[in-house]
This record gives sequence, structure tokens and C-alpha cells, in this order.
Amino acid sequence: MRLAIQTEIKEKAETPTEGLEEKVSVRHLNFYYGEYRALADNNVNLYKNKVTAFIGPSGCGKSTLLRILNRIYDLYPNQRADGEVLLDGENILSPKQDLNLLRAKVGMVFQKPTPFPMTIYENIAFGVRLYEQLSKADLDVRVEDSLRRGALWDEVKDKLDANGLSLSGGQQQRLCIARTVAIRPEVILLDEPCSALDPISTAKIEELIDVLKRDYTIAIVTHNMQQAARTSDFTAFMYLGELVEFDNTTQIFTNPRTERTQDYITGRFG
Amino acid sequence: MDTHEHIVRSYEEELSSLNNKIAKMGGLAEQVLGQSIDALEGRDPDLAAETIQQDEVIDELEKEIEEQVIVMIARRQPLAYDLRQIMAALRISTDLERIGDLGKNIAKRALAVVGEQQPKQLMLGLKHMGELALGQLKEVLDAYIERDADRALKVWYTDEDIDAMYNSLFRELLTYMMEDPRNIGLCTHLLFGAKNIERIGDHATNIAETVYFLVHGKAITDQRPKSDNTSSTPVTLRSAV
Repeated sequence: MRLAIQTEIKEKAETPTEGLEEKVSVRHLNFYYGEYRALADNNVNLYKNKVTAFIGPSGCGKSTLLRILNRIYDLYPNQRADGEVLLDGENILSPKQDLNLLRAKVGMVFQKPTPFPMTIYENIAFGVRLYEQLSKADLDVRVEDSLRRGALWDEVKDKLDANGLSLSGGQQQRLCIARTVAIRPEVILLDEPCSALDPISTAKIEELIDVLKRDYTIAIVTHNMQQAARTSDFTAFMYLGELVEFDNTTQIFTNPRTERTQDYITGRFG
Repeated sequence: MDTHEHIVRSYEEELSSLNNKIAKMGGLAEQVLGQSIDALEGRDPDLAAETIQQDEVIDELEKEIEEQVIVMIARRQPLAYDLRQIMAALRISTDLERIGDLGKNIAKRALAVVGEQQPKQLMLGLKHMGELALGQLKEVLDAYIERDADRALKVWYTDEDIDAMYNSLFRELLTYMMEDPRNIGLCTHLLFGAKNIERIGDHATNIAETVYFLVHGKAITDQRPKSDNTSSTPVTLRSAV
């Protein structure tokens, strides 16, 4: 029996962002792979110390958008962005932007865990040494602090000399998160960080995200709708390169404003 | 491609099944209410007994719906409109179960007063009130099936009419009781019957609120007009004169 469903677009809801600081602001962002426009006029904010999830079907541009936030696309030819991406008010798309400094401020964790082929200690220390001159004692403190923030310290404190690759998948991913926080970023980008992990490891990462957001601004791309609903404060739904809807997570998952968002999150297309 | 049906067909079928169960439960509740009023007015003990039995089917359906809702929440992790549909089915089944119980109670009172002389005026008043409540129930269930929030809102506002009828019946019944104490037994049963109908009206407005929430994702913000003032109606000998 076909149910009659009201299809009116609801009134624009008030987004409760009063009092929140915009850490990253994306304004009229377009992105091109060669001649192909992958992102069309995207506008979105990442609020300070909040988790923003990006959801949408495959190919919608969510990972593309994430990779602009630390200009990792610069490593590849024929890819360009226009528009503005403001980090604390400064446009990171400017040619004058120091990319190494940017990537120290905006860290990234990928879908597949990517520990260096080094000891657990060196995995953390390597990045720190690139940016800071610390004594051995201070470096030890930084390594321990980072591994604690990555919820990994208790599991590896007695084997810091072990190779990072000897850890389980979930531990490797937490090592990557610890490595990211070691250089004191302000924003952490997570690109489907739990896709390759089992449910328990996933839960540990989600708990970690909940703790990390006290100190960092976090953006997470995920295919897992329930994960977005569980972990994020704000959610952006993307489709075919457009940012269709952006709102607080509760609103998106209980009463989205657009039919397309509703159809996607309820599994009516994708 | 039809973007309004689930990609996973079994999900769509489960939602349909839930919808159909509510429709069936609603139909039975309408039947119980209609028959209980007829049994009371017609002094028909057989009809009353049959009506009492039907309430058991309503109770069973409520249990089925509750189980199905729990399973769907666990298995499907519903979101947005689907979540509201599933929660609405749970809430409406609770209201319909109560309506069934109240209707059954009216039927029981029909059995209790079957031998008594019933004043025509009073019975007409009760029947009219019952028809009003039945009309509200039919209308709000149609609103649910059609997902029509405007129709639900109309039911929500119309409950005032049932309250007004109840106020008037309440006074009449008091008058009868005060006129002749031999009427007290009958009038007490009729009073409870009238109260049950008034409560059925309230449950219909609960369903209306749920339908509105289902469609719009937010609650009705108006103050519902309530005019049942029987709880503060004074009882004095002067009013019997």
C-alpha cells in the first residue's frame, strides 16, 4: 500500500549555532579534476570543538571536500579549487599559504591505517621533530601524552620499541590518530576512519572522537549513517558535488528539511 | 526510479504491515465504540457481550504492534520520517487500546442497566455524544491513513464539542439523581458511560497530535481548547428545582 507522504519543503529551520565560533569556513567553493567540476558552490562551517560529519552517496564529493581543507590535493596535478576556505579567518587557498604549516595545523587520518614502518615511539616522534626542537625528556612526555590522547598508551607502554605495523588494525588507526595529535593540530580530518575496523575498534575510535573534540575541531567523512548520527554535532549531506543540507545532527536525522536528505538517510536512494 | 520506496523491499513491507495493523485496530475500535453505544441505547445484552469480546482482539493487536516496533528499531535503526512513523504506530496503538477498553466498559454498563427504564432524553443525549466521538475517531484515523495533518488538526479543535455535550449531560444526570434517588443506579452507570465517551474523544485528540507530529516532525504549538468543567460543577439542592 503506497503511503501518502507530504512532500513539501519545510520552512528553513533555525540552526542553533549562536555562540559557536567558526573554525573553518568554506565559501562558494568549486573544485575541478581537470575540466570536471566535482564540487559546486559549497558553503559550510566547521565549528570550533565540534564534530561535523559529511555524508552522501559514493562520488558525491565528501572526501574531495575534506582533502581541500588541508590542501592535500596540491600533491596531484590537474586539480584546482576556487572560492574561499577560511581557517581562523585566513584563506588557505591563497598561493601565499605555507602548506607544511597548514598540514601541521590541520591533521588527517585516512581510511586505511598508515603507520610508518618504524617503532611505535618513532611513529609519534618523527612528525614532532619536523616542527619542534624538544629534549629527549620532553619528547618522551609528548609521545606518552599523544598515545594517551589516542587511547593507546595502556596497550603499548611496555612495547614502544615494537614496530608500528605489528599492531592490530584498530590499534594502528589509533596510532595514526596519536601521531596526528602529537604535532598539536587545531583541526583533525577523518576520512572514513573506521571503515576497515571491527565493531569494537570502531566503538573505541568513536569514544576517542568524543574526547578529542574537547581540544580539537573535527571533520569526519563516513558511509555509516549511524556513526554520523552517534558521533557528530553537525552533519552535512552532499549529493553530486552539491552541499544539499547542513544542520545540527539531531535535526538532520529526525526531521531533515529536504526530501533528498530524507530519502538518502532512510535508504530510499543512494 | 521511484525515490519514495525503500531500496530494501522488506523494510517497505514492514512499514506497510505496521500501517495496516493500525488501520485494522482502528476499525475494531470504531466497531467497539459504535456497538457499545447501540447496546446501551437498545438495551441489547447480546450485542454488549459480543462487543466485550472484541476488545480482546484489539489488545492482541497492541501487543503485536509493540513487538514489531521494538524489532524494527533494533534491526533497521530507523531515521527521520521512518522513525516518526514507527513511533507514531506505537503511540496510536496505545490510544486505540485504551479506546477499546473504554468501549468495553460502556458495553459492560449496558449489561448492568439492561432491565432499567431509560429516560429517552438522556439516552438521546448519550447517543449523540457517542456519535460525535465516533465521528472524531473515524476522521482522525482517516487523517492517519492519508497522512493529513490539517484533517488531524480539525479533529484536535473539535473535541471541544464533545466536552460541551459532556458538561450538559453531567448536569442532566445530576438533576435526575437529585429528583429521585431510585434513578441513582442507572444514572451513575450512564455518567460513567458518558465519561468514557469523553475520554475516547480525548484519545482521538492524542491520535491527532501524533498524526500532526508524524507529518511535520514537531508538536502542535497551540493550546488545546478544553471545556470539560464537570470537575468544578457545584451540586446543590437548589439546582434540582
